[in-house]
Amino acid sequence: MAISLVKGGNISLTKEAPAMKIALVGLGWDTRATDGADFDLDASVFMLGEDGKVISDANFIFFNQKTSPCGGVEHLGDNRTGAGDGDDEQVRVDLTKVAIEVKKIVFGVSIYQAEERKQNFGQVSNAFMRILNADSNEEIARFDLSEDASVETAMVFGELYRHNDEWKFKAVSQGYAGALAALAAQYGVNI
Amino acid sequence: MSVSLAKGGNVSLTKSDPSLTRVRVGLGWDTRATDGQDFDLDASAFLLSEAGKVRNDTDFIFYNNLSSPEGSVSHTGDNRTGDGDGDDETLIVKLNQIPADVAKLAFIVTIHEGATRKQSFGQVSNAFMRIINDETNVEVARYDLSEDASSETAMNFGELYLHNNEWKFRAVGQGYAGGLGAMCAQFGINSI
Repeated sequence: MAISLVKGGNISLTKEAPAMKIALVGLGWDTRATDGADFDLDASVFMLGEDGKVISDANFIFFNQKTSPCGGVEHLGDNRTGAGDGDDEQVRVDLTKVAIEVKKIVFGVSIYQAEERKQNFGQVSNAFMRILNADSNEEIARFDLSEDASVETAMVFGELYRHNDEWKFKAVSQGYAGALAALAAQYGVNI
Repeated sequence: MSVSLAKGGNVSLTKSDPSLTRVRVGLGWDTRATDGQDFDLDASAFLLSEAGKVRNDTDFIFYNNLSSPEGSVSHTGDNRTGDGDGDDETLIVKLNQIPADVAKLAFIVTIHEGATRKQSFGQVSNAFMRIINDETNVEVARYDLSEDASSETAMNFGELYLHNNEWKFRAVGQGYAGGLGAMCAQFGINSI
């Protein structure tokens, strides 16, 4: 059963799913039925150290850099239209491989060229982001972007973080007006 | 006071007014001052299931089918020129009569024979679509077709939908190049 997390709520994954080794973050949306530029949503990941900044630029995982140096985070590929059912982009996190200096893994979603294309999440049909336990396929948390982040173009979905030797997940659900660049700047990526 | 909704934005209609039972959607435009064929805009509505499709063809409310079978959505009549002030075509929605298996209503505006007459919204003066609380006459959202959909001939104005037991309205404001036919195909209408 999926657990609905209120914004800012957190749950312990190891307590919820003690055997979990692999987490999967999925992003899905419908292709555009109307005319105009495609809706191109992108999932991205920031692997942060104690100071809340990326360990290095290589720890920003996105469509142009699909695997982290430690091999713990892998982006399974860019989807530029939303074609296909279910998750249209996925990020796989192997918690056993994540480098020890990574204290927090932040999952973001943004609309590619949102400003030029004058798009926001509310214009996209059935856009969601979710995290699931890949071992059991159980959904841990889900956020409805179309409904609850309708006027945003980028947001932090949530974060996995180490706490007392276990991984916990916190639903952040906060939007950024400045798309992916604003997210990258926030976490210290040089772009 | 009117709520200003950005494209993509949504607002709850029944949160602030739980007793709300009627809304109306108005479409207005000016008659053609120049010569050439009249601008004939049409308002229509689709009653959609959870799957985003009509349950059957009578869920498409337009100039040739002015009322849904159960009466939750009715069209007050076709206007072929834009003659008259204010709203020239109106759709009345009775929220408490919408069937339980209808999850969403989509409100559409099209130009009749827009392609053959080579017309688009930008050529029409003061064309707008708006949704109004029918009890208080407060406007919930308005879209300026002449200005913001100038090159389009068909547009999804917005959607009324049930979310966590509240009726909400989403400003869609997206055009369809294929006109009413393309919309019918998307919403599962077999023929028009």
